[in-house]
Amino acid sequence: MKGPDVVWYLCVAGFLFCTGALGVLIRRSPLIVLLSLEIMLNGANLALIAFSRHYGQGDGQIFALTVMAVAASEVVVGLGLIVAIARRKLDLDVDKLSTLRG
Amino acid sequence: MIVAAWICLISPLAAAFLITLAGNRITRRGAGYLATLSAAVSFVAAIVSFAGLLGDSPAERYHPSTLWSWLTAGQLDFGLRIVVDPLSVFMMLVVSGVGMLIVLYSIGYMEGDDEERRYFAYMAVFVFSMLLLVQAGNLLILLVGWGLVGLSSYLLIGFWHDRPSAVAAAKKAFVINAIGDATFALALFLLIQRTGSLNFEVVFSQSIHGSWAINLIALGLLGGAVAKSAQLPLHTWLPDAMEGPTPVSALIHAATMVTAGVYLIVRTGSLFEQAPKVLELSAGLGAITIVMAGLIALVQVDIKRVIAYSTMSQIGYMFLAAGLGAYPNAMFHLMTHAFFKALLFMAAGLVIHALAGEQDMRKMGGLNRLLPFTCVCFAIGALSLAGIPPFSGFFSKDSILAAALDHGWYGELLWVAGMVGTFLTGLYAFRMLFIVFWGEPTPFVREHLMVGSHAHAREGHLEHDGHEQHMHSGEGPLSMTSTVAALTVLTVIGGFLQFAGIWTPVTTWLDPVARPLVEASGTQEAVSSFLAVVLGAAGIGVAWWIYGARSTTAPRVAWAQTLLERKFYFDELYDAAFYRPAVFLATGLLRWVERPLVFGSVRELVRGVGLAGRDTGRLQSGLVRTYVLAIAASVAVLTIVFVAVR
Repeated sequence: MKGPDVVWYLCVAGFLFCTGALGVLIRRSPLIVLLSLEIMLNGANLALIAFSRHYGQGDGQIFALTVMAVAASEVVVGLGLIVAIARRKLDLDVDKLSTLRG
Repeated sequence: MIVAAWICLISPLAAAFLITLAGNRITRRGAGYLATLSAAVSFVAAIVSFAGLLGDSPAERYHPSTLWSWLTAGQLDFGLRIVVDPLSVFMMLVVSGVGMLIVLYSIGYMEGDDEERRYFAYMAVFVFSMLLLVQAGNLLILLVGWGLVGLSSYLLIGFWHDRPSAVAAAKKAFVINAIGDATFALALFLLIQRTGSLNFEVVFSQSIHGSWAINLIALGLLGGAVAKSAQLPLHTWLPDAMEGPTPVSALIHAATMVTAGVYLIVRTGSLFEQAPKVLELSAGLGAITIVMAGLIALVQVDIKRVIAYSTMSQIGYMFLAAGLGAYPNAMFHLMTHAFFKALLFMAAGLVIHALAGEQDMRKMGGLNRLLPFTCVCFAIGALSLAGIPPFSGFFSKDSILAAALDHGWYGELLWVAGMVGTFLTGLYAFRMLFIVFWGEPTPFVREHLMVGSHAHAREGHLEHDGHEQHMHSGEGPLSMTSTVAALTVLTVIGGFLQFAGIWTPVTTWLDPVARPLVEASGTQEAVSSFLAVVLGAAGIGVAWWIYGARSTTAPRVAWAQTLLERKFYFDELYDAAFYRPAVFLATGLLRWVERPLVFGSVRELVRGVGLAGRDTGRLQSGLVRTYVLAIAASVAVLTIVFVAVR
């Protein structure tokens, strides 16, 4: 059961994570921000699984499954919020949702 | 005998509790009778104790009794302990006997007051406290009694609590007494450290090492005695204490409580004898007080204040005697003084009662025909006060003066002061007598005693009676006149208990407890007595010349008049020396410490927190992407640091 070295997996994971982070940072639509977050999570999951395989232990895989479950619930809440915002006919722009300013 | 002594102590306390707990369930008069009854029980119990002691041989007349262990601390163990010995029985008889008469007198005097029950409860508490003081078997219980009499004095001076002057006088008495209580307590601490006990027989049988220690102990005890007995320099509270009801003045501020200082010196005589300088100091303070109080009494216009100053002066004689070691003479004068001074106060109370509460002598005059009984009693009291034979004051005061001659040049100096005091006593006592009772009735007196005062109003049938009947009914109810009569009798016969040189039962009785240090020879007695009587009579003569016959007016020296009316500026002095600096210090601390440091620091802290909150609040921009950037940047920096360090 040979495949590419763990470094390559980590490179892909890092690339995915950075793409997601960049998306969170520069996009304003909450929907896209949520998508980018998912990409970041997937990057992290990939890294977990790669290490799990590298060390021959199942812990990382179990943790990746947990992350997926949490991500699913998070998406439910996030999408619910976005629907609520849209219903109140507010702009779908994270920069304008700044009522929590100190 | 011990049981009787305990009954004597507990009975007034029980009465106080009963009156307090019964509240409205007993009548006001019932409260008075209950208090009188309790004092009478005490008196009978005191007589039983006295009889019991008479049965013992003189050397065995010492019976301590401990009810229970009250306070235990390490090696120290203080019991609720009384002692029955000649000195305590002597005081028990005086306190409960005079106390009984005065409480009985109060029933008439306080009639119609709003809070009679409270008054009688306080009086019972006082009698209990005073008995505790004189029966105490160790110095700690003595201090407890000492504090309790101070408390009851405070409560009774301020009894009419809707009068601001009475409240102020009560506070003044309490504060000045607290100074004495403090020095007394400090002396006890030192005594515990030196002897390890406060029980009389332990403390008095040891000689205390270290001259400074014994001197400090004696000074502390003297401080307590001086404050309680209103001697110089802690005397300023006594004249103001006359704001209380007249029977209170008679009982507490003339007959019993103020003489507690003399009792303390006699009781702790063996400690004072180890510090002879302090003992001489107390005699000196007494002598100065005799003259000073006598001078101030010459210009007072309030009848009760004149008697108050005369009390200070007479206690000065007792201090003089106790300070010279003439303990029996001091105790004998204490007893006769209790009789004649209570008599004077109560006779003055009859006058005040008849005149609806007026105490200003300038409004009185010509009362001898309107209140003949009161006049006779008052005159007997005044003669006794001035030391004219055969009244009791003559025997006791002259024995003190004669004893002073047996103490070297210092004693002779004090003797001169005492002689000056005798002249002043005759002068001020009869000035008061002549102003109040001689001359023509003033308009004020006519208004109250001839037209129909409150005393007449109670007896409606008097309208058709003659003038004489009207006048007679003004003297007061039976409870008052009968007790005044009883005290008059005591004043007349009390002096024959002891006749210096020939007949000395008081000295013999007190000998096991307080053996005198000085003894006057027969010649000294005779010369001193003769001179004292001549001087007293001279004082009376001058008073007659000025105030009785009014053949001349009193000499007026403006500065002396002001000095005396201002009571030698003691109140002003203490005001300037203690009160004002304290106020100044407090205002200074408020302005320079409290406001800038305490208030200021709190205010600055609040402002600082507010500012910091506002500034850090700016970071909370509400822009989610900024937060994300901050997180990402931080992670990036941490990663670089992590890698670099590795």
